Amino acid sequence: MDFDIVDDRLNSGAPEGPIETRWDRHRFDLKLVSPANKRKYTVLVVGTGLAGASAAATLAELGYNVENFCIQDTPRRAHSVAAQGGINAAKNYLNDGDSVWRLFYDTVKGGDFRARESNVYRLAQLSTQIIDQCVAQGVPFAREYGGTLANRSFGGAQVSRTFYARGQTGQQLLLGAYSSLMRQVDEGRVRLHARREMLDLVLVDGHAKGLITRNLVTGQLERWAGDAVLLCTGGYSTAYYLSTNAVNSNATAAWRCHKRGAFFANPCFMQIHPTCIPLQGRAQSKLTLMSESLRNDGRIWVPKNKGDARAANEIPEGDRDYFLERIYPAFGNLVPRDVASRAAKHICDEGFGVGSTGLAVYLDFEEAIARLGRDTVEQRYSNLFEMYREITGENPYAVPMRIYPAPHYTMGGLWVDYNLQATIPGLHVLGEANFSDHGSNRLGASALMQGLCDGYFVIPYTLGNYLAGQKPGSTRSDDPAFNEAETSVKNGVEKLLSIQGNRTVRDFHWELGRILWDQVGMSRDPDGMRRAIGEIRSLRDQFWQDVSIPGSGDSLNRSLEYAGRVADYLELGELIAIDALHRDESAGCHLRLDHQSPEGEPVRNDQDFSYVAAWEYTGDLSRPRLNRERLAFENVHLAVRNYK
Amino acid sequence: MMSTNGTRSYSLRIWRQNDNSSPGALVEYRVSDINPQMSFLEMLDHLNDTLERKHEVPIAFESDCREGICGTCGLMIDGRPHGPAAGLTTCGLRMRQFADGATITIEPFRANAFPVLRDLVVDRQAFDRIIQAGGYISVNCGQAPEANSMLIGKDVAEAAMDSAACIGCGACVASCPNASASLFVGAKIRQLALLPQGQAERSRRALRMVEAMDREGFGDCSNHGECEAACPKGISIESIAVMRREYMRTLLARG
Amino acid sequence: MNASSFRPWSSIGKKLFNGLTGIFLMLFIIAHLAGNLTLLVGADAFNGYAEWLHRLGAIVPVMEVGLLALVLAHVVSAVAVYSDRRAARTIRYAVVASKGGASKQTVFSRSMILTGAVLLVFLVLHIWQFRFGPSIAEGYSTVLHGEPVRDLYRLVVETFQNPLWLVFYLAVTVLLGFHLRHGFWSAFQSLGVLTPRTRALAYSAGGVFAIVMVIGFLTLPLWLFFAAEPQSARGIVMVVP
Repeated sequence: MDFDIVDDRLNSGAPEGPIETRWDRHRFDLKLVSPANKRKYTVLVVGTGLAGASAAATLAELGYNVENFCIQDTPRRAHSVAAQGGINAAKNYLNDGDSVWRLFYDTVKGGDFRARESNVYRLAQLSTQIIDQCVAQGVPFAREYGGTLANRSFGGAQVSRTFYARGQTGQQLLLGAYSSLMRQVDEGRVRLHARREMLDLVLVDGHAKGLITRNLVTGQLERWAGDAVLLCTGGYSTAYYLSTNAVNSNATAAWRCHKRGAFFANPCFMQIHPTCIPLQGRAQSKLTLMSESLRNDGRIWVPKNKGDARAANEIPEGDRDYFLERIYPAFGNLVPRDVASRAAKHICDEGFGVGSTGLAVYLDFEEAIARLGRDTVEQRYSNLFEMYREITGENPYAVPMRIYPAPHYTMGGLWVDYNLQATIPGLHVLGEANFSDHGSNRLGASALMQGLCDGYFVIPYTLGNYLAGQKPGSTRSDDPAFNEAETSVKNGVEKLLSIQGNRTVRDFHWELGRILWDQVGMSRDPDGMRRAIGEIRSLRDQFWQDVSIPGSGDSLNRSLEYAGRVADYLELGELIAIDALHRDESAGCHLRLDHQSPEGEPVRNDQDFSYVAAWEYTGDLSRPRLNRERLAFENVHLAVRNYK
Repeated sequence: MMSTNGTRSYSLRIWRQNDNSSPGALVEYRVSDINPQMSFLEMLDHLNDTLERKHEVPIAFESDCREGICGTCGLMIDGRPHGPAAGLTTCGLRMRQFADGATITIEPFRANAFPVLRDLVVDRQAFDRIIQAGGYISVNCGQAPEANSMLIGKDVAEAAMDSAACIGCGACVASCPNASASLFVGAKIRQLALLPQGQAERSRRALRMVEAMDREGFGDCSNHGECEAACPKGISIESIAVMRREYMRTLLARG
Repeated sequence: MNASSFRPWSSIGKKLFNGLTGIFLMLFIIAHLAGNLTLLVGADAFNGYAEWLHRLGAIVPVMEVGLLALVLAHVVSAVAVYSDRRAARTIRYAVVASKGGASKQTVFSRSMILTGAVLLVFLVLHIWQFRFGPSIAEGYSTVLHGEPVRDLYRLVVETFQNPLWLVFYLAVTVLLGFHLRHGFWSAFQSLGVLTPRTRALAYSAGGVFAIVMVIGFLTLPLWLFFAAEPQSARGIVMVVP
């Protein structure tokens, strides 16, 4: 592989000094926009998930004008809605030893030392305010009988710091942010543009000052000029075709920003979630995640004997291998996601998997039902059990569930500094779309925390710092930069429509997913990744010659929308593979077969790879430029993650 | 009819309509090779793939999360929103529910407040405008008091959650013989009326949200209760009773 | 946006009117049935009851006008709900089915506007037939406690001995039952007074109420048709001092 390396361009701008006071000192140093001037600035917010809705609402509350875009028919459907388990906050309500420091420590360590300490500390610090804000909005979190908020332990944490609203925490938090957003729409401070897809970023004098969107109903291309752009468009797990993400989740907006100059950081850090309902067939369009809170009470096992054909209930205790409890006695079934996922894959690869495909392990509640009673189990998990029953037609109260890991979340994303600003001035990236807080592995219940933290409590401060240096309303949508961007989008759409080939978009997407999952999935080896790069390139060429997109560009055309997204994935997919190949170590989710301990644990190479890999588009997809941001670990000392 | 490999075939009657200003009609299609484990939407994906391979314009329908929470998918299947099974969204529906060889009629959610954009895709932004009218608690970011400073009984929180579970899919409207949005509106009003945080704006909220609902052109609730049966989240018409109480309470309070 | 206020003609206001008037009308038909049960006792009892009502004096026209107003308000609010319904979905479904389960959608709930329309037509006919029908002047008189009074009993018995009228009344009574089956609980739900527990109770009570009313109102014409003395015999009784 062949790429240039640059080491001096990236500056996180994170303050120095004691980590506890960095954010406070930084906030004081940030420039402010005076209350009277705020209304003169227009902020373009793309996306209405937790990050987008919270940012749009909060900026509008401060007095800015906000134009807010989403591809869905309403902001409330953004994929944050599907998060089940909960949201972390260092409230220490249970007096069980939690603290800001512990949440910070857990997140850095859980991320296998590939996240920026300053950002993570700020996240932990602000986590407590998020809960206050959500409760004030009327989010019906679970409560104790005494009326206080309930907490549970989640995803490998040894303290109970997770707040939840049944199995629908993401939905309730999103509806909270959405309600604040709609209040601002009513106030006239936010103008909502649903069914709009951002297809290009417009740069004026090197600053992000506008967007080109396509109206998904009429096909019309539209120009939006503003003083800053916020990208809150989520992750790119659907590059793998089958994932737990929504079928419309995509990386198009982020990728187009990348091609306009925003660096893409750590694209190979893709989290695999351990508790998903296994794949059943080729026609399957998505994998359904079940909250990993199931691991709190469920026990994971496979038969001790290869090819044991007996039904799960007929396999006696002595013939069962509770492999997580066996390998990780301290954490047992509650090891972090990457560890649990890999252990499941490993045991299936060895031939112990269950179900018709052999690609599944049992998640068993027999012991929990005996210990807690069916009522309690039902109270805790009934919605998940119901979901499982609906999909598989099996009753999980009677027979163990079958689960298998699936792509779920991408820690990688556009590179941002401490102010959440990308390498393009004025472009700010929030939530899953940025790379910043989770390193190479995200802890459970931390995504919601980060999305809301960015939107409610970080960007309202840091955006002002950028805007204070900008003359408000200085960009007009008749600027030549808009002509250029609109023409390029228009040409792209026309090119797609003109191919008139013979293969469906889904076909290409499926193929790309297969390549990525097989070679750049849960375990990665250099030869496979090299092969993947070649296969993706050739698939991309085929796509541009043989894709079939019926219909026209001037109406609602879902094949056309989908084609644009898959076209971008065929480019991003290559970058994922390049990044994974270049990172010659294992870290968190990124397990290289050539860098593992005898027990199959990832082995990091801190000497050479303790950095953020931020890729710069050079005009040649196969020759991106690597910009490295060195990571310093001053507060959490580098150590081997050990959950045994 | 059952093929040797256990797959099934169906006759589909699907509503096709180019856009809101063109007339539409039911068009017949045949699908085969359908595995009973496939979801209803995967069956439609399969049909669309077949159409696309023939360079025909596929059927426009919407879905997103495909796990029953985003509320995007919503089809009228044989006269019932989200199909025959209770407690499911269209994406959760499996083909094993449909006998081999069956004829299935698929229509968009119909209400004048939900204009058809294309085929099975409807515009449900009327719901946003109702929420915009008052489905919120007016608290700016930063103003919130410490979360545990206000105690809320477990039963109250659970009851609020029952109503908050609404996914905004519009099945209530689609199923209602009157095309009323009362269950949707009632659910939000009840959630916020139950919580102490919602008290300050209680009257204003009920008045404004009901007014917005009426302005959008939804029908009035005649208590058929079909919405509760159609709601994939099982939200009770208790919410509608509460909405009415809240609305009348305002009348009494204002004399 | 301007501050909102209670609008009597909102979707909720309409149903409030409809429900409230419905409850009063139900109270009225209970009273009406109770009064008419005197038919079973005999001519004097029934005519005496009718005469007693007349002697209430000034309150009678007030009540009549009030009842009329109730009916009108009930009809107007119902028609308004119906026309909103028509306007809310102009393109109809090709296939409609109920999901069952918690649904309270029945042939009764769906036919409210039709059964209501029939009841309205019936009401006009019924008032024309009895309230403004033949009276003392036309020879329908009898003597009660020494005073001449209208022989309404004779008019009623004559009417119901006509099989056509009988069948008509029976049919309308069944439709009244339809209307009440949904109308009873729905009225309370429209007022927002039901809680989950009382809602189930009200729904069941609605069924019982509808059946009781139907049985009550069916019994009278059937009794008169099959069991009442023929009018000629009573005619003789009349002339005996």
